[in-house]
Amino acid sequence: MNKVSHILFLLAALVIVSAIAAITFGPADITVKQLMTCLIGHCQSQVTDVVIWQVRIPRVLVALVAGMGLAIAGAILQNITRNPLADPYLFGIVSGAGLGATIANISLADNITVALPLAAFLGALFSVIIVVFIAKVLKSMEQLLLAGVAVSFMLASITQFILYFGEPFATNRVIFWLMGSLARVEMSNFYVIASILFIAIVAVFALHRQIDALLLGDESAASLGVNVDKLRLLMLGICAALTATIVAYCGGIGFVGLMIPHIVRQLIGVTTLKLIIGSALIGAIFLIWVDVIARSSLPHAEIPIGIITSALGSLFFLFIMYRSRVMH
Amino acid sequence: MSILLNIHDLSWKVQQKTILQRINFNIRKGEVIGIIGPNGAGKTSLLRCLTNQANILANANISGRVYLKNTLLTTFSAKEIAQHFALVMQKNDSIFALSVEDVMKMGLLPHKSLFSLDNHHDKTQITLALSKVGLSDALHTHFNQLSGGEQQRVLIARALVQASQILILDEPTNHLDVYYQHQVLQLVNKLNITVIMTVHDLNLASLYCQRLLLLNKGELVCDGSPQSVLTPERLSHIFGLHCQQSIDDITGATQVSFYLEENNRYKNSLSTKVKADTLPNTLPNIVPDIEADIVAKNPTTNKRRDFNE
Repeated sequence: MNKVSHILFLLAALVIVSAIAAITFGPADITVKQLMTCLIGHCQSQVTDVVIWQVRIPRVLVALVAGMGLAIAGAILQNITRNPLADPYLFGIVSGAGLGATIANISLADNITVALPLAAFLGALFSVIIVVFIAKVLKSMEQLLLAGVAVSFMLASITQFILYFGEPFATNRVIFWLMGSLARVEMSNFYVIASILFIAIVAVFALHRQIDALLLGDESAASLGVNVDKLRLLMLGICAALTATIVAYCGGIGFVGLMIPHIVRQLIGVTTLKLIIGSALIGAIFLIWVDVIARSSLPHAEIPIGIITSALGSLFFLFIMYRSRVMH
Repeated sequence: MSILLNIHDLSWKVQQKTILQRINFNIRKGEVIGIIGPNGAGKTSLLRCLTNQANILANANISGRVYLKNTLLTTFSAKEIAQHFALVMQKNDSIFALSVEDVMKMGLLPHKSLFSLDNHHDKTQITLALSKVGLSDALHTHFNQLSGGEQQRVLIARALVQASQILILDEPTNHLDVYYQHQVLQLVNKLNITVIMTVHDLNLASLYCQRLLLLNKGELVCDGSPQSVLTPERLSHIFGLHCQQSIDDITGATQVSFYLEENNRYKNSLSTKVKADTLPNTLPNIVPDIEADIVAKNPTTNKRRDFNE
C-alpha cells in the first residue's frame, strides 16, 4: 500500500472517530459509554435517547455530508476551470440562495420553516441557470468565472435593496440565516443532501479521467476524445445542485469549498480521484469539528458556523501557504 | 504503402476570409510529413480539421471530406478519433502540480471505459513509453519542473500510451533550444508511426520529414520531397525574401537560407565605401567652429584680434 492509500485510510478512520466523538459534545452531558449503549438500542434515559437520535446524530450527519459536499464541489470546480480560486460561492449560488431566502422572509413570513430552504434552493438554482446560460455563450473559462462574480454581486445587491426596505425582524432572520447554522437540521435534510452527494460522487468516479484530461488544457482534453463543453456544463450543474441543497438547509458556509481542496493537493495529489476522496474526508472532518466549536464554545448560545469556517479557514489557509513557501 | 488518410477538397472560410482552400492530399502509413508555410498560412487549421477536434468538420463554413482508412472522419466518435490520432500541442502548462505519471495516464483515456481504474498493464505501458523517450526516471517528477524539451518528450510518450496510428505535432520545436529541437524531431522519426507536424524551421523540416506540404494563404502550394518543395523561386515568392538552396555536407539534406534585399544592397554598398579601419582615429574637433562663430558674430572680438595682430 502506498503513501496516498495510508493517508486516505487514516482520514477515513478520523471521519468515523470525529463523528462519534462529536455526538458527545453539547449542552447535555453524554459520555462515550452512554452514547455506545444508546447506539445499540439500550438507552437508559429517555432524554439522552431523544438528544442523541433527534438532535446530535442528525446534526453530525448533516455536518458530515455538508462538509463533504462543499469540499467536493470546490474540488470539481477548481479542476474543471483549472483555477485554484474557483469556489461554489463564486458562481453566485449563495447570493441566489440569499435572494430566495429574502423574498421568502418578506412575503411568506407565516410558513417560513418550509418556505425558507425551498426559496433558497430556487434562488440558488436561478443564479446557476444564469451562470450556465452565460457559460454556454462564453467559451472562455476566465470570462465564465468573472460572469459568476458579476451575477453574485448583482443578486446580492437586489437582496440588499429588498432588505433595506424590508421589515427589521425579517431582515435579521435573513442575515442570521446567511451566517450559516446546523441548529435546525433534521434527519430528512441529511437524506436529501446525501442522495445528491452520492450522485455527484458517482458522476466524478465515472468521469474522473475526462476531468483529469482538462488539467492540461481544453485542446489537449479534446484531442483525447473529451467533449469539453458538455463535461464542464454537467459538472457545473452537479456542483450547483449540491451547493444549493446544502446552502438551503444550512445557510451560508463559506471557505470550505475553496480551502479544503488546497490542503488535499498538498497532502495527497492533484488528480480528480485523489482530490475528490481526500476533499470529501477532510471536508467532513473539518465541518464536524467546526460545528462542535459552534455549539459548545458559548454557554447558552451558538456561534453561526459560517463565521467560524471563514475565520478558521482563512487562518489555516495562510498557514498552509506559508508552510508550502518555506518548504519550496 | 496503404493510404491512411485522404483529404478531399477541404475548404474553410470564416467571414469571407479563406482559412483553407480546396486542399487535396493523401497520407500513407508510416510517412513523416511536415506542414510548412508562413504565419497564417493555415497550418494549425489543417491539423485541427485532420483530427476533427470538437466536431470542427461539422462546421457549416467547412466543405470537403476527410477519410480515415476510407471511412468519413465525421462518422467516428470523438473517442474513436482519439484512438487513431494523438496530438502534441505547442505548450502544455498546468497550474496544478501534475506529475509525469498523471500526464501519462491521460493517454489511457481513449481506451478506458467509465469507472475504470488503472491496472498492471497500464503501468507497464507507461513505463515502456517513458523508456522509449529516455525519461524512465521521471515518472514521479513534477511535469512543470521539466525543461521544454523534456515536456515535449513526455507528451510524445503520452501519445505512445494513447497507442494511436497517427501522431500530430503542432510546432513541436517552438520554445526549444537547438539541442532539444534536434532531439525531439529525431525521437519522432524513430517511432515508426505516421507523423504529421507543422514546422516553422524549414531546414529542420527538410532534415526530419520525408515529405513536405507547403501552404500559403490557405492553399496547398506544393507537396513532395524536401528537395522538390524547397526551391529558391517558390520560397522567395511565398516568404518575400531572397533564398538560396544548398545541400548540407554532413546530413545530405536540402537546406535553405534567406536574406533580405536590403542586406544584399548593404553588402554591395560596403565594398564601395571607405573601410572602417581606414577612417581617421580622431574625433571631429567642434571647438574651433564655435570659436569662429563667436568671433564672426562679435565685432569687438574681431577688433581686438585686429588690434592684437
